[in-house]
Amino acid sequence: MTDHDLTPDDFTDTARAVMNACAGAGGTAARMSLLAEAGLPGILAPEAAGGMDLPLGFAVPVLAAAGRGFLAAPLLETMLLARAFAGVDDAVAADLAAGTTCATIAWSGAFDGTTGLVGAAPLAAESDRVLVFRTDGTAVLVSKGEGVEVEAAATLEVDRPEDNIRLSKAAGPELPAERVAQLKAEAQVLRAALILGAAEDCLDRASAYAQERVQFGKPLSAYQAIQHSLARDCLAVETIRNSIARSLSPHCATPAAAARATFVGAARLGSRVAESAIQVHGGMGFTWDVPLHRHLRMVKTLAAQGGAADLLEAVAAELMAGEDSEAEEMKRAG
Amino acid sequence: MTQTALAETGPETPNVAAHARAWLDANLPGTLREDRLQDRAPTVPELCEWEAKLHRAGLVGATWPERYGGGGRSLRDHLDISREIGRTPMPESVNSIGKELAGPIIMAVGTDAQKDAYLPAILEMRDIWCQGFSEPNAGSDLAGLRTRAVQTSEGWVINGQKIWTSGASKSSRCLLLCRTGSVEDRHRGLVLFAVKTDTPGVDIREIRSIDGARHFCEVFFNNVVVPEADLLGSPDEGWAAATRVLSIERATNRMHRAWRFENQLRHLVRACAADPATRRLVETDYRRQIAAVSVDIDLLKGHVETLVGSLIDGNEIGPRGSLPKLFWSEAHQNFAALALEIVSQFPVTMSDDLKAVKQRMEDIYLKARAETIYAGTTEIQLGIIAKRILRLNRGA
Repeated sequence: MTDHDLTPDDFTDTARAVMNACAGAGGTAARMSLLAEAGLPGILAPEAAGGMDLPLGFAVPVLAAAGRGFLAAPLLETMLLARAFAGVDDAVAADLAAGTTCATIAWSGAFDGTTGLVGAAPLAAESDRVLVFRTDGTAVLVSKGEGVEVEAAATLEVDRPEDNIRLSKAAGPELPAERVAQLKAEAQVLRAALILGAAEDCLDRASAYAQERVQFGKPLSAYQAIQHSLARDCLAVETIRNSIARSLSPHCATPAAAARATFVGAARLGSRVAESAIQVHGGMGFTWDVPLHRHLRMVKTLAAQGGAADLLEAVAAELMAGEDSEAEEMKRAG
Repeated sequence: MTQTALAETGPETPNVAAHARAWLDANLPGTLREDRLQDRAPTVPELCEWEAKLHRAGLVGATWPERYGGGGRSLRDHLDISREIGRTPMPESVNSIGKELAGPIIMAVGTDAQKDAYLPAILEMRDIWCQGFSEPNAGSDLAGLRTRAVQTSEGWVINGQKIWTSGASKSSRCLLLCRTGSVEDRHRGLVLFAVKTDTPGVDIREIRSIDGARHFCEVFFNNVVVPEADLLGSPDEGWAAATRVLSIERATNRMHRAWRFENQLRHLVRACAADPATRRLVETDYRRQIAAVSVDIDLLKGHVETLVGSLIDGNEIGPRGSLPKLFWSEAHQNFAALALEIVSQFPVTMSDDLKAVKQRMEDIYLKARAETIYAGTTEIQLGIIAKRILRLNRGA
C-alpha cells in the first residue's frame, strides 16, 4: 500500500459524479473513457501499471456508486483485470487501467482448449477483449475476431447485458491459476458493493415515494405496514454494508469465508430490497420507466455470475466436514 | 464519548483469544456442557462458582477498570474473548443484568462509594442483579410505568409492581425504575434505584415460562424503604444516562452471541452426521437450509464486528443499536425452527449424543420465542428504525 491519506469514503462523491456523466454518454467505450479520466478502472492496479495501488476497500464506494447509478460498463471486470494482469503483463494492465482497452469477463463456463461456448460476459459485444476461464484453472484474455465470436444470449440484464462467446481457439495474455482464484475471490466483495449501491438506491426511492404518495388522506409512510417494510429493507442494506466492512477489515479472522457470506447474503438481501421497493411503488413499480426493475435484474444477474447457489453448497460442504475456519485461523496465529 | 464500561479503552493484549480458548477448554466442567446430555439443570451456586472462576481467569469484566475488579482492557480484547466464550458450549450468565446493564449504568452515574460497593460484587458473583423496568401496564411503552418513589425523612418509599423480571428470585439486587410524580409526566421524574431484594415489603413470585423454567418473576413493592445511598443518579439525570447506556448495551450485550449460535449449529450438524440414522437429514434433506443459517451467522458477525470498530472509533450508536438486535433475534429464531424440524425426525431409539442435541435444540427453540420480545420487541425495533433512522415520520 502506498502512503496516502485517502479513505474509501473520499471516492464516493467523485464516483457518483462520474456515474452521472456516464449515464449521459453514448456507448460503453465513451463511458470507459469517462471512468478512466477519473482514474477509476485502475484504482486497484499497481502504480507500475498506471494504477493507484489502493486496497480493495477503495473499490467499494466506487462500485456502490456504479450500482446505484445503473452504470452500463464492465467496471468491476476492468478493475479486477487491471490488478490481475499487473506483474504478469504490465502493458495489458496499463491499457486496462487507462481505459484504452475495454475488457470484460465470461463468468460462466470454461474453455477446454479445443472448442466451446462460455457465457455470462457483461457487455462483450461492446468490449475489445474477454477473459475466458480454462478448465485447468488458468485464464486467457482473448481478443474478438477469428475463433472468438460473440453471440447474443438471453439475458435478464438491461444495463450490462450478457453475451456468450463461441471459441474455437483461445490465444492472448494469460493468467496463472492462483491469480484467477484471487480474482474470483475479490469479485465476491465487489459484486456485493454493486448490490449495496443498487439496494441503497431502491431504499431511497421507496422511502421518498412513500413520503410523497398520499392515500386515504395520509402519506404511505404514515402507515405502520409500510414503515415496517422499509425498516426491514434498511436492516438489509446495513447488513450488506457491515458484512462488506467486516470481510475487508484487518481484524477479520476469516476473510475468505466472510467474503463468501457477504456475497451470498447480498444476493439474497439485495433482491429483497429491490422487490420490496417495487411493492411500495404499487402499479408504478411494475412499469418499465421506474428503474427499480433494472436494479433487481442486476442483483439477480450478479447472483448468477458469482455462483451464489454453488457457494452455498461450498458453505454446506465445509460445515459437513466439520471445518471451523476461524478456529484454524486462530491456531495458526497462536 | 459517554463514560461506560464498554467505552473504556485499555491496551489491546496479544493472544488474549488463545489464552481464553485454552483456559475454557481446560476448565469448563462436564456438568455445565450444553452439548452433553445432562440429567439436571445446573444450580445457581454451581453457576456462580463457574462465573466467579471465569472472572478470576480474566474472561469476565475485561473492559471494566481494574479498580473495580475488571481487566482494564480494550473493547477489541472483549470481542476476542467473547468469540471464544461463544464457541464454548457453556451456560449463559445468571448475572448478565449485573454485568451488562447495572454495572455499566453504575459506572456512568454512580457515586464513588456506590461503584466500590456494587461493581466488584457483580464480577465476583456476590451480587446477582435483576432488572425492574417492565410493569403490567408498561411493557413496550415504558414511559407508562406507575411504580412510585416518594422521598421521606427515612429514605425513599416505593410502592408498585414489576413484571417479567427475569431471575428476580435468584437475585440480591434489583435495578429498579420508578417515578417521582404521576403517570402523566411520562419520561419526566423517572428515577433509578439499586434495591436490595431482601428489603421488607419486596415480594417476589416466580412465573413459569413456556420452556418450563421459573426464571421469570413478578415483584411487588409494598412500602419498601430504600436508603438515599441506593439512589442511582439524581431523578431525571439517572434515567437520562441510563438510556444512553441502554442504547449501547442493546447493541453490544452478549457479544458472544454469533459464535454461540455457530456452536449450536455445528453441534447439530456434527451429531446428526455422526449417526447413520440421522446423517441424511443434514447431508441431504436440509443441506442448503443449514448453509443459509451459517451465512446468516456470518452476516451477524458483520454487524457485531463493525459495531465494535465503530465504538472504538468513538462513534455514537443511538438508534442503530436496533439493527443488530432485530437481525440476531430473527436469525436465531429461523435457525431454531430449522433445528427443531430436524430433531423432530430423530428415530425413537437414540444415542445419548442425539438425545443431547435434541434436548438442546428443543430448549433453544422455546427460549428463542422470547428473543423477539425482550430488550424491545421486533415491532418496537422496526418502529425505531423507521422513525429514527429512516425519519419516515416527517410530514406524516
